[in-house]
Amino acid sequence: MRDNIFTELYNKLLGFFRQAEEEESAKDVACNRLRVVLMQDRTNLTPQILERMRGELVELLSKYLEMDKEALELNLEQEGDQMALMLSIPVIRAKDEEEIEQALAEEEAKKAEESEEEAEEVEEVEEVEETEEVSEELAGKTEDVEEEKNTKEFPNKEICGDCNECEFSDDIECEKKNSLKKSKK
Amino acid sequence: MSGRVIVITSGKGGVGKTTTNANIGTALAKAGNKVVMIDTDLGLRNLDLLLGLENRIVYTIVDVVEERCKLKQALVKDKKNPNLCLLAAAQTRDKTAVTEEQLKDICEKLKKDFDFILVDCPAGIEQGFQNAVAGATEAIVVTTPEMSAVRDADRIIGLLEAKEEIQSYKLLLNRVRPNLIKSNDMMSVEDVVEILSAELIGIIPEDTGIITSTNKGEPIVNDEKSLAGRAYMNVARRIIGEEVEFLNLEEETSVVARVKKFFKGLVGKEK
Repeated sequence: MRDNIFTELYNKLLGFFRQAEEEESAKDVACNRLRVVLMQDRTNLTPQILERMRGELVELLSKYLEMDKEALELNLEQEGDQMALMLSIPVIRAKDEEEIEQALAEEEAKKAEESEEEAEEVEEVEEVEETEEVSEELAGKTEDVEEEKNTKEFPNKEICGDCNECEFSDDIECEKKNSLKKSKK
Repeated sequence: MSGRVIVITSGKGGVGKTTTNANIGTALAKAGNKVVMIDTDLGLRNLDLLLGLENRIVYTIVDVVEERCKLKQALVKDKKNPNLCLLAAAQTRDKTAVTEEQLKDICEKLKKDFDFILVDCPAGIEQGFQNAVAGATEAIVVTTPEMSAVRDADRIIGLLEAKEEIQSYKLLLNRVRPNLIKSNDMMSVEDVVEILSAELIGIIPEDTGIITSTNKGEPIVNDEKSLAGRAYMNVARRIIGEEVEFLNLEEETSVVARVKKFFKGLVGKEK
């Protein structure tokens, strides 16, 4: 019983002094908050841009680290006369080499895919322009031009350029095309 | 004579722009300068109240601009000091009644007859602020050691720095409470000066005397015993170009100082 009272008292006393030590004074809190707010006020970085930066940083860093994405903090702070960008990331664990390589490979594949897609898009646009020109020149022969365009759109010939459904470009195999041709005739 | 045009501004409302204006104006006039104060807070005029001149106003700045009277007719002389004049704001109109050009023009004309033209700026950063700043070449930014006031002061300083006409601006820290600063509950003078990195022209302590002086319509600088009054007097002397040390507020407001003051008061009365 006695023990309990004393330990309680001791803990309370300890807690009291610890609090006094650890608690930041109202003045310090005000100064720090003001510095952060003023940094943001003074720069042209809008919250939207900061958010975008945050997103891009998460994408970049998650290749190497497993982290708590929600708790990631990105702030502008004053460091003496200079402005500092403070990034605080709670890291769960660092990824091992295999994972990193895998992530990098994935990224590269993604990039390659994107660039291919882009290239294709560009080609398509060019072709469309070409065909338009052609169609202007050769008004009346639109049927041929259309056929030409369709085959060009699918250069690997895996998918039939005529019906966009079956996997054959062979005239005989594609029933739809045949039926289309018939109807055109 | 070519007077100095000083705009007194703050961004945030209620930090003591008008009180500062009334006191610095009175102090400068007491020191023998010819001073005119322009209240540009159209629709929300108060400078007349702080000076106790509310019953003497016949014409306002809007009457001058719209040519219903001459500029000199609209200047109201102070009760005590003939060196001090007020050009009052109109209470029934809004901020669009006077333009930047018109205010510039008025300041130019007043420069010929006065040593100091103090422009009382409305709160905010809109047209009212732009108008008030238009004719000035110097500025005093009033702020208090509170976060919102300091933040707004920072914004105002940014706007003042962008104005070519403003050659210099100084910081006046108002409503300072030495006891709170001592207990680390309020930002200190040094903190604010460091955060805003601006030159300081005055530190005014929080003083209940301000309330009574406002109620009486008599600026606190007329009370030479009051700490705030002395601090404002020092600001005026610094504006004139004297080097005056800042009051040590912590010492002045300590218990010992109060006891001393109390006994001094008793001795004074006996005599």
